[in-house]
Amino acid sequence: MAVALGIDLGTTNSCAAIATPTGVEFILGPRGERVHPSVVAFPGSGGVVVGPDAKRYRLTEPHHVIHSAKRFIGQNIRAPLVQLALTGVRYKIVEGPNQQPIVVVRDRRMTMPEISSHVLLHLKRCAERQLGTHVQQAVITVPANFTDGQRQATKEAGRLAGLEVMRLINEPTAAALAYGFGHDRQQLVAVFDFGGGTFDVSILRLNGEIFEVLASDGDFFLGGDDLDRALAELLAAECNRILRVDPRPHAALMMKLMMGAEAIKCHLSENEAAEGEIDGLDMPNGQAGRLPFSITRRQFEDLINGYVMRTMEVTRQVIVAAGLTPQHISEVLCVGGSTRIPVVRQRLTEIFGRPPNTRINPDEVVSQGAAIQAGSLTNTLNAGTGMGARDAVATSAHTTLHGVGAVQLQQQQAKRPILLDVNPATLGIGTAGGFSERLLDKNSPIPIEKIRVFTTARDNQTRVEIDCCRGENRRYDENEPLGTLVLEDIAAKARGEVKIEVCFRVDSDGILHVRAIDQASQQRQEAHLQVLGAPSVDGAEDGGGGGEL
Amino acid sequence: MTQDELIEWATRIVHRADPQPHQLLEIKAESGLDDAQAAFHKVARQAHPDLHRNSLSAEQLELVTSAYAKVAGAYQDFRQLALAPRPKVIEVKGAYGTRNVPPPPPVEEPEAAPQAGGPVGQMNSKAMLHYRKAEMSLRRGELKTAVLQLKMASAADPQSKFVRIALAEVMAELAKSGG
Repeated sequence: MAVALGIDLGTTNSCAAIATPTGVEFILGPRGERVHPSVVAFPGSGGVVVGPDAKRYRLTEPHHVIHSAKRFIGQNIRAPLVQLALTGVRYKIVEGPNQQPIVVVRDRRMTMPEISSHVLLHLKRCAERQLGTHVQQAVITVPANFTDGQRQATKEAGRLAGLEVMRLINEPTAAALAYGFGHDRQQLVAVFDFGGGTFDVSILRLNGEIFEVLASDGDFFLGGDDLDRALAELLAAECNRILRVDPRPHAALMMKLMMGAEAIKCHLSENEAAEGEIDGLDMPNGQAGRLPFSITRRQFEDLINGYVMRTMEVTRQVIVAAGLTPQHISEVLCVGGSTRIPVVRQRLTEIFGRPPNTRINPDEVVSQGAAIQAGSLTNTLNAGTGMGARDAVATSAHTTLHGVGAVQLQQQQAKRPILLDVNPATLGIGTAGGFSERLLDKNSPIPIEKIRVFTTARDNQTRVEIDCCRGENRRYDENEPLGTLVLEDIAAKARGEVKIEVCFRVDSDGILHVRAIDQASQQRQEAHLQVLGAPSVDGAEDGGGGGEL
Repeated sequence: MTQDELIEWATRIVHRADPQPHQLLEIKAESGLDDAQAAFHKVARQAHPDLHRNSLSAEQLELVTSAYAKVAGAYQDFRQLALAPRPKVIEVKGAYGTRNVPPPPPVEEPEAAPQAGGPVGQMNSKAMLHYRKAEMSLRRGELKTAVLQLKMASAADPQSKFVRIALAEVMAELAKSGG
């Protein structure tokens, strides 16, 4: 039987699960851990280390430990936010072909998908050890607002790890699926996904087996990492003041402060104040230093207030985009580690007028949803797989123990969930005069197809370049260019006489395919767009986005 | 829906020439968003490509996917109309006088954040950083450093009355002890 994993490939932590007839089973790491750090280390002793062991190398060899790779995967290295994020990592990233970021470790050049594939491979191996069978298929989750390039790069990472990526699904949708599967609910839910590096919020309508996303938005550069950094800056200032050493140029020292900040942050989620010392600081003068700190939850909340307010602002916008008011929402699901911060939950309660659901595990629910989707795609789901349906199954298993006879687990087929996800951004094409014509709106259901007919702008034009872009702006230049499709050998005619049919299709993975047909000659040009920052197919192309039609 | 019916439906949808959204959803022209949603959910339950990926040939699956994607596009047209009513004609600002532009969707006014108690709430976070340092300096009796840090806090948040008062007080203190 085909086994398909559900994988939550996170910025800081990853999680994998598989749907079984009795529920969702988590893939455990070598030490029995359910949550696997998304950290890849290339230690001096050779080899590649992934997971909790790799995390330990962050102190001894900070330049050779790759963390938060998800922040760079499929990104254009020239994007301002990426440049900003580069200041937060201690390993070396350079610009590669097609403007994609390349990690340089011990003279090895690796693309971001290669780094992520190590994490996926680790999960795959853990799963194979646990299940005793080959695992070749997977459903991987991505933040809802991931772009085309980021999605393609994530698929590429799966391929490099030897996995057939059956589907990319959005993290908030996966969480809603885990929450709603097998319960036949009729309600509107909001999923607030605030993870290590990304933030998403989605509004869904649950209608039996249908999970319809009404609106979704977020920020793929906002997460727990940023909160850690804010706190680490505070610690750095303290370090400078008390120990008279500016830690910022010292990678190992700063990394230690970041790790300290993360621990303080987690402590403050449970406690009102954190007081103590960070010891074992390797000072530049060779001595070991210790930094005392005393931070109250209140201080921390003020420090991160800007970030939290931003997430709440996006949440309000998404509710409006779904055509609803907060009162319509009957359940708020919290996903991602950063939602453990009390002030985040408090602000959510203020918006929705109800406390968020705390019964789901924010670290694991996404991979549970992915596993259910994987089970659905391989058609191996049954009624016992859903969360909370375990009790029913436990009874039958219980009977077996009492020897009443070989009681089969209920093998009745569950209704397969149907995910109606949305595309995260408005897509359009450049037209004469520097305008952008919208073809597919943000938040339209996927898969979706839209066809528009365009004409030539000049007489005797035999070649047309179709520039595709992403963004809401009427001006083409102010949107993000995606790539260019070229249609050649068009019959020379007066302007406006040639009809070119442009078909935009966003597939179920959220990846755009563009097709252009010259209606007269029926000449068909289909192209898979080469997106800037995505792993390039031939490596040589440097897709220019500025050409005129 | 049997497989034959599915293929027949998909063929019908894909080959419809110049279709209107309601024709793709196979509902009445005057239908509203609720009807469109019900129709779309019905299509999704029967024809979502995920449900058929193991039972159809690649060619048939592409046909069904294409038909489904077209219906999804039609449903989006209904949603667009209902959620964000906007004029069909392109607006040229001021060209034909003011036109009846529908008001933007109501945005919930963010409730005023509760005023934080204590000194911390009365300045922004950057100012607070400097203020904390000043507090530490004061504890060690380094008045001059504290003045400097409070000045930085004041520069970071010129609006904060609290910082200004604190600065004035410490400067007075410094004048007393230094003079």
